[in-house]
Amino acid sequence: MLRLLYLGLIAVCILPTIPGLLGVVLSAFGYIPPIGLSDFSLSGFSHVFRWNGVWQSIGLTMYSAIISSYLACLITFAILQSCWNTTWWRKIETLLSPLLAMPHVAFAIGFAFLFAPTGIGVRTIYQSFGYDLSSQNVNEMALLVKDPDALGLIVMLALKEVPFLLLMSIPILQQLKVAQIEKVSHALGYNNSQVWCKVIFPQWFTRLRFPMLAIIAYSVSVVDIALIIGPTNPPTFAVLVWQWFNDPDLSLLPRAAAGAVVLFIIASLLIAFVQTLEWVVLKGFKHWQYSGRSGLTLPGKSLFSLLTILAFIMLPLMILWSFALRWRFPDLVPSQFSTRFWQYEWQSIVNTFGQSMSIAVICATLSLLLALIAHEYRQRYRIHIPGYIIAIPMLIPQLSVLFGMQIATLYIKSDVYSFWVCWAHVFFAFPYVYLSLDGPWRSYDQGLTRVALSLGKSPLHAWFKVKLPLLLPAVTFAWAVGVSVSLAQYLPTLILGAGRISTITTEAVALSSGHDRRITAIYAISQALLPLLFFSLAMLLNHTHGKYRRLSIKGLLTHESLSRKPRHP
Amino acid sequence: MKKILSSVALLAAIISTPASATNWKSVEQRAAGDTVYFHAWGGSQEINRYIQWAGQQLQARYNVTLKHVKVSDISETTTRLIAEKAAGKNSGGSVDMVWINGENFKSMKDNKLLFGPFVDQLPNWQYVDKSLPVDVDFSVPTEGLEAPWGVGQLVFIHDKQTLNNPPKSFMEMLSYAKAFPNRLSYPRPPEFHGTSFLKALLIELTHNDSSLMKPVKDADFQRVTEPLWNYLDQFHQVAWRGGKQFPSGTAETIQLLDDGQLDLAITFNPNAVYSAQSNGNLALTTAAYAMDAGALSNIHFLAIPWNANASAAAQVAINFLLSPEAQSRKGDMNIWGDPSVLSSQYLSGSAKKTKQFKSIAEPHPSWQAALEQEWLKRYGN
Repeated sequence: MLRLLYLGLIAVCILPTIPGLLGVVLSAFGYIPPIGLSDFSLSGFSHVFRWNGVWQSIGLTMYSAIISSYLACLITFAILQSCWNTTWWRKIETLLSPLLAMPHVAFAIGFAFLFAPTGIGVRTIYQSFGYDLSSQNVNEMALLVKDPDALGLIVMLALKEVPFLLLMSIPILQQLKVAQIEKVSHALGYNNSQVWCKVIFPQWFTRLRFPMLAIIAYSVSVVDIALIIGPTNPPTFAVLVWQWFNDPDLSLLPRAAAGAVVLFIIASLLIAFVQTLEWVVLKGFKHWQYSGRSGLTLPGKSLFSLLTILAFIMLPLMILWSFALRWRFPDLVPSQFSTRFWQYEWQSIVNTFGQSMSIAVICATLSLLLALIAHEYRQRYRIHIPGYIIAIPMLIPQLSVLFGMQIATLYIKSDVYSFWVCWAHVFFAFPYVYLSLDGPWRSYDQGLTRVALSLGKSPLHAWFKVKLPLLLPAVTFAWAVGVSVSLAQYLPTLILGAGRISTITTEAVALSSGHDRRITAIYAISQALLPLLFFSLAMLLNHTHGKYRRLSIKGLLTHESLSRKPRHP
Repeated sequence: MKKILSSVALLAAIISTPASATNWKSVEQRAAGDTVYFHAWGGSQEINRYIQWAGQQLQARYNVTLKHVKVSDISETTTRLIAEKAAGKNSGGSVDMVWINGENFKSMKDNKLLFGPFVDQLPNWQYVDKSLPVDVDFSVPTEGLEAPWGVGQLVFIHDKQTLNNPPKSFMEMLSYAKAFPNRLSYPRPPEFHGTSFLKALLIELTHNDSSLMKPVKDADFQRVTEPLWNYLDQFHQVAWRGGKQFPSGTAETIQLLDDGQLDLAITFNPNAVYSAQSNGNLALTTAAYAMDAGALSNIHFLAIPWNANASAAAQVAINFLLSPEAQSRKGDMNIWGDPSVLSSQYLSGSAKKTKQFKSIAEPHPSWQAALEQEWLKRYGN
């Protein structure tokens, strides 16, 4: 039974990568029989490289991905260095869950509200310092939103990835026994910042490899965020490919496919770059690790405060905008208020909410079941799929694989849109759910199940009565992760849903291009609230469940599997 | 005698109307319960809200569900339909109704992607103002394959408080930009307002060269467009953000006008300024105006793909959108303000009062793609 389910899992979540990639590669070489193209040629690629500004666009993509990811890494390190095992850390842990739950799109919209050349930031500067607002000056302030050098994209992505890297660092630092390391090093006469730079950083950085790969791959291929605050002329390469993909001239489809292949190559190059850089810093030139007493003290607390303040200004700002009838630049507050925009949008928000939630709940539940199957199978059988293959959907650019998938759906049956969208969501959410269950499953004490079995209980009974209750907090958390990943999917919903399926995310991105700030605000608020709702639900569930269990089985609470779960909510 | 005449008329009515009336009844019957996927540009909240209203009415009156599929450019839908055609999907298609004109209509017509002719079978066709060019779309005959929905005129919006005397020709616009750099721009082609700006500019600079009315392949493209690129080379140097970045569409130009970053916004709907004022997007001192030579004008249409899954329901929807009631609401200055295609005697409310600017006809649709490609080649990075 388990074997059969595992095969199903492979068919749903692993194998589609192959037709996905095959489809895109064949199309890139001009072979798309459904639309009458059946000759192999390189014209797709030559179109890509003949495009005016394509190299600038590729350059923008590579440097924005590298800088934003390492900036995020540096900020994370700074925060860990100054806050780990201090009273601050408690606060950080409680703040992590709302920060993580906030979707990228909502964060980008909030970021644009703050930093646009006529955003609240410039307004504040004007109101408090009487900054001259002639249009030349205001245009010089256009540094962080749709700026040609992608600075805004870099800063926004870096800030948004910090909570994720912090979360990923928790189990790493717990394994590292930081307190002991600090004690030994202090005894040898090194101060705290030296210890963190020379001893903890190398170990932490190695183990952070996978999260780094995930965020760098995300930054290369992201389309929705780049559409909101990225450069426009030329845009980043992923956006360019997406525009080609929507070109009305179908004979140019090989160009889009070739672009998707190039995007895939860029992502692979960057993954290689991350590995090389890690080797260079930690193995190749490790002189800095043992010579001298250099050590950096980074302003981690201020950085984290800045991040939190930014995120928490955004929500009230968006709420204010959603009720503003008239709010002219450079006023700091609206001059007229109205509830009419909420009234106008209410009906369509309710509809979209329903559709988004049902897709998210179905997909998260399916992904969770599949992840449970995968973990159980891994613990029972020696031959199983290695973790890095499961993680592939996190690492390849969505555009590259979705393109091939859409071509594949043309061959099969393309008009069951909800089915394809749900499946694509499962495909992309599964690795996240799997990974968030990884730690808890590994640290579960198999002895407990053995005891239950030796007391004559059936394996299923033992699983439901012993293992599941112990791991329930991790399971509900993983489910909430699945929900939030599914809610955030933009390209899969759009490409496989043929525009018929709209979720709160596709609406938020589409309407942010409509430039009505009230409407954008309303959708950004809704998009931010939905995942938060599910994370709170998971927390609530754990809370009540914890209470119930404390009463029923005392003593097991301090079990290691609990302290080792991703200590997120 | 009178009695006889009227009874003859009655008799004639009984004999002639029932055929089409029963036809239409059966269309309505087939439509009931169906869902129409209406692919339409979703970039304006006023329009989206209007379509939402139309959906509620259709649901209540004909039991037809209208789903607005918001596209950022209708060419995305053309792509989808061509793909379905190539894949041999001749029924049960994913699109039931489209909002198109110009280049996209020509492409769909050439590829035989349209259902019909159906237009003159619509009961509300009788109210349409036939003095408008409702049977040609950018000089291509519609042949009943698409029903007119509204009239678009490319106009500019200015704020009387900051710019009382706006440029009335493109040459004046260039001198204004040189005197006040960073204050003017236009949406980035291939966005359709941007491309329309290029077309209007080209028409003025070439004094409406007769080759613009013919397919672009018959013309000396380089020679005809030379003045356009010269103009833009000068204009971009003094344009907003040095001509390196452009607004993404009409909504952004309106936003930038209100933020005091641009002096002129651009729109295809002369009445957009009223709905923008009532929604707080523009100051009450703003007004729309056309260039002295006139406004680039076209009609936008509704059509049904050949493989539509719910073509009866789509006809019912189009017929409803052509009704005096729906057209009056569409023309209401506070709702959408899109000029109606019906004769004004059938309209009510503020839609009746719409004045149109002097109009300039669109060039042949093939110029659109050629201009867009050349623009992207020159300024696309």
